[in-house]
Amino acid sequence: MTGYRFERIEKRFAHRQILDRVDISLESGACALLCGVNGAGKSTLLRILAGMESPNHALVHAGGRQRRWRRVKRELLSQCIYLHQTPYLFEGSVAYNLTYPLRGPRAEREARVREGLQWSGLSALATHPVHLLSGGERQRVALARAWLRQPAFMLLDEPTSNMDTECRKRTVELLSELKRQGVGLVVATHDAQHFAGIADHTLQLEDGRLSRLHTTPVVLPDKVTSIERARRFTG
Amino acid sequence: MESIAETAQQALALLLGGDAELWEIIGISFKVSLTALAIATPIALSLAFLLAFGRFPGRRLLITGFNTLLSFPAVVVGLTFYILLSRQGPLGEWRLLFTQPAMVIGQIALALPILVAIGHSSLQAIDRRAWETARTLGASLPRAVYSLMREARFGLLGALLAGFGRIIAEVGASMMLGGNILHYTRNIPTAIALETSKGEFAQGIALGLVLLLMAFLLNGTLQFVQGKGRQVA
Repeated sequence: MTGYRFERIEKRFAHRQILDRVDISLESGACALLCGVNGAGKSTLLRILAGMESPNHALVHAGGRQRRWRRVKRELLSQCIYLHQTPYLFEGSVAYNLTYPLRGPRAEREARVREGLQWSGLSALATHPVHLLSGGERQRVALARAWLRQPAFMLLDEPTSNMDTECRKRTVELLSELKRQGVGLVVATHDAQHFAGIADHTLQLEDGRLSRLHTTPVVLPDKVTSIERARRFTG
Repeated sequence: MESIAETAQQALALLLGGDAELWEIIGISFKVSLTALAIATPIALSLAFLLAFGRFPGRRLLITGFNTLLSFPAVVVGLTFYILLSRQGPLGEWRLLFTQPAMVIGQIALALPILVAIGHSSLQAIDRRAWETARTLGASLPRAVYSLMREARFGLLGALLAGFGRIIAEVGASMMLGGNILHYTRNIPTAIALETSKGEFAQGIALGLVLLLMAFLLNGTLQFVQGKGRQVA
């Protein structure tokens, strides 16, 4: 699966048109920035792309054919991870949260958690209760947890808001790493300049309509799926 | 009539001396109430979950209904089930009246509204992102439900303790449905009522002390657990 193409997404809440004939794609190994003022509908669009919310209307193309929303929704839920602006961490330690998306024998899960901790630079905080972490650390835990799930796509809602420069830099580095592994990213943000190094497209959402601001083609070194890339990365 | 101090002394002697009849009554109380709680809990938690996260017509009415049932007198619950379970009642064929299962049924009816109402407010207080996060991380429906219950565990434990506290000490339903039969349906509250009516205060006070001690332990546990919850939050 290399991606999904959504056409004419429409979403209304009561009588308010939130999204109006929006066309957007989810592509493996590509990063799209989604800009727009507060209330422009960025989060709603991300949640629809993640399969967490249903649109009033949308045409979805995948694998060269048009697909039914109900079936695609299930696929999206299994292949996408949506990260809230303030990620939710389950009560417990950092390691507990990283274990959450993992299945299989205990030893295998523990090994994967160690990889996740190393990947996110959180090894020293493995046993820390999550309620003692800073905003930046919480974001990194959420990213590492998502990485361990090996999603094909990640949809991030303002992942660097309220972060200091160092935390923001580290988060962008982790996103860049995910992209290199073939994960398709859509990042809703107010600060497009922070993601300039990893973005392929910048999209502007205004009054429910989406427009493309500019395109920077990025050539991936090879064409392998995100899962294969993740496996290769973790050995 | 003996002085209060003498009666209390006798009560303590009965308790600490391992009086067989007294401890049998305590055993029946715990057996019936814990059975009722074990049956009511999964039903109540499922209902609480549905009320907190489901969106269906009549939801608000159901919430109001359960909140109203919180103040339903135990004796009215007893009367209702007495009518249902009596020979001429619609469930008379079950022949449950004056048995422990009848007491369990009455106590389930008493515990259910408390468990649902407190469980519902505990689950409703959980951040909706918890559910979305569980689902987006690939949790199956049962696992996502379990995750939410785990997040709300301090509140839910409070609901369990409150429910248990209500049914172990109620006298109305147990008296009407159990019949206060010695060695079978006589529990702590019905025994206290009987012993007091006979003027046998020592056993009444001994059983009262057990209830008092248990109320203290339940409240202490609740305070401790909720304090721990606040620390974590």
